[in-house]
Amino acid sequence: MLRSCVSRLRTLAVQRGLPGGAPLPAKDPWSPRVNPGAGRRERAAKPGCVRGDPRSFSSEVMHMDLSLPNPSWSEDMRLLFDQFMKKSEDGSWKHLPSYKSKFTQETEDIKIYFPDAKLMKEKLSQAQLFPRSLEEGLGFEYAMFHNCVEDRTVCIFQGGPYLQGVPGFLHGGAIATMIDATLGTCAVVAIGVAMTASLNISFKRPIPLGSVVVINSQVDKVEGRKLFLSCNIRSVDEKTVYSEATSLFVKLDPKTRLT
Amino acid sequence: MIRRGFQAVIRLGHHRVLPGAPHVLPRLNRTSAFGSSTDSLVSRFCLEKTDLKDYALPNASWCPDMLNLYQEFLEKTKTDGWIKLPSFKSNRDHIQGLKLPFGLAATSDKSDWRIFTRCLQVEGQGYEYVIFFHPSKKKSICLFQPGPYLEGAPGFAHGGSLATMMDETFSKTAYLAGEGLFTLSLNIRFKNLIPVGSLAVLNVDVEKIEDQKLYMSCIAQSRDQQRVYAKSSGVFLQLQLEEELSQ
Repeated sequence: MLRSCVSRLRTLAVQRGLPGGAPLPAKDPWSPRVNPGAGRRERAAKPGCVRGDPRSFSSEVMHMDLSLPNPSWSEDMRLLFDQFMKKSEDGSWKHLPSYKSKFTQETEDIKIYFPDAKLMKEKLSQAQLFPRSLEEGLGFEYAMFHNCVEDRTVCIFQGGPYLQGVPGFLHGGAIATMIDATLGTCAVVAIGVAMTASLNISFKRPIPLGSVVVINSQVDKVEGRKLFLSCNIRSVDEKTVYSEATSLFVKLDPKTRLT
Repeated sequence: MIRRGFQAVIRLGHHRVLPGAPHVLPRLNRTSAFGSSTDSLVSRFCLEKTDLKDYALPNASWCPDMLNLYQEFLEKTKTDGWIKLPSFKSNRDHIQGLKLPFGLAATSDKSDWRIFTRCLQVEGQGYEYVIFFHPSKKKSICLFQPGPYLEGAPGFAHGGSLATMMDETFSKTAYLAGEGLFTLSLNIRFKNLIPVGSLAVLNVDVEKIEDQKLYMSCIAQSRDQQRVYAKSSGVFLQLQLEEELSQ
């Protein structure tokens, strides 16, 4: 009897992704995922794909990956997510996790650009990454996927009721925020820590509140530390173009202070 | 007749001088190139008698810079023709009795919708801001203090939050200056980062109104104007709201 209990527990550990067990299979999106391998930063040892790896985090804080389905996601959103997860199975696409706060190794890297450590520590304790600071379903519900082969990032986005602009539609600023976040992710994956220098957005049609849209972004050109990116926002069936944007991101130079 | 007209002017004069009194412009001529005049738009937008909570008022989270500049502009609402815009939880509250033209109106009317810039309601957490509008100069000033939940780079406001504040200020200015409703384009050049909890002053001007479009420019800088945070331009589409039919 003991032997069967132990084997059952081991199976459970595997299913729940506890240390020593394998991560949850992609087909079970409803359980919150905890990334294994706490504490150790995975340097860009993986060839090709993601160089500025946003996945690494510190061992002190447990994180919930917020770019996973939750009850507030609509049918459209869940279908799209599943489609992309399927595409990720062969390694050409990669799901990028997203956390509430930036207590990550990435923060350690960024700190050298902002040497005012004391001020930062105080602020960091209350800070939340802007697009993740609203409760489930009320604000930004999104997940990002990166295509390693074509070097582009796709974000599936569902805007909640607290993102209102003109009644019934998404606020232009909320759209700008998601464009900035998607282009920023695309830039970081391409060249590491980078900041927005300029954003140029053209709004074609208003986006209804609660609907799901797809943001396709790509790197157009690299000139030294400058990165030119563009993106468009389309409906799920790709027939409606809601917005188009171009931007310039700049790779941070460790020698230059930003403040 | 002249005496009556003169008395009306004196009454107006008294009204403007009263300390602490909300500044309301009289309804002047209704006709303009596009629908309603700025003054009628302002008086409808700035509901005086209302139970709605106005979020554009000082609270404990406002930094000293913000409080001081707020007081300065409050004085200007009495003497220089500036108006402090109220800020309600939802844009729907600002346009009571009006609706989007047929075909654009939302099919479901959910009461839990909130305007994005008032999505975080704990004082000091998200957007702390107030907009002052000058009807005849067609310009606005927005005092903006980003909270810790608007973070991007550690200790600094997310680029998207400044883009949002610029879009929001453009939006209110466009609406009151000429019934601008939807953003057509936004072009932002970021220069410096805004530290979380500090004051950024956004100056918006209407450059021109042409072909059913409003063109505006904005510069966001520190209070002493020594540090420019970003410059932007925005174009809005003019679209007249319709009266809601009473049921």
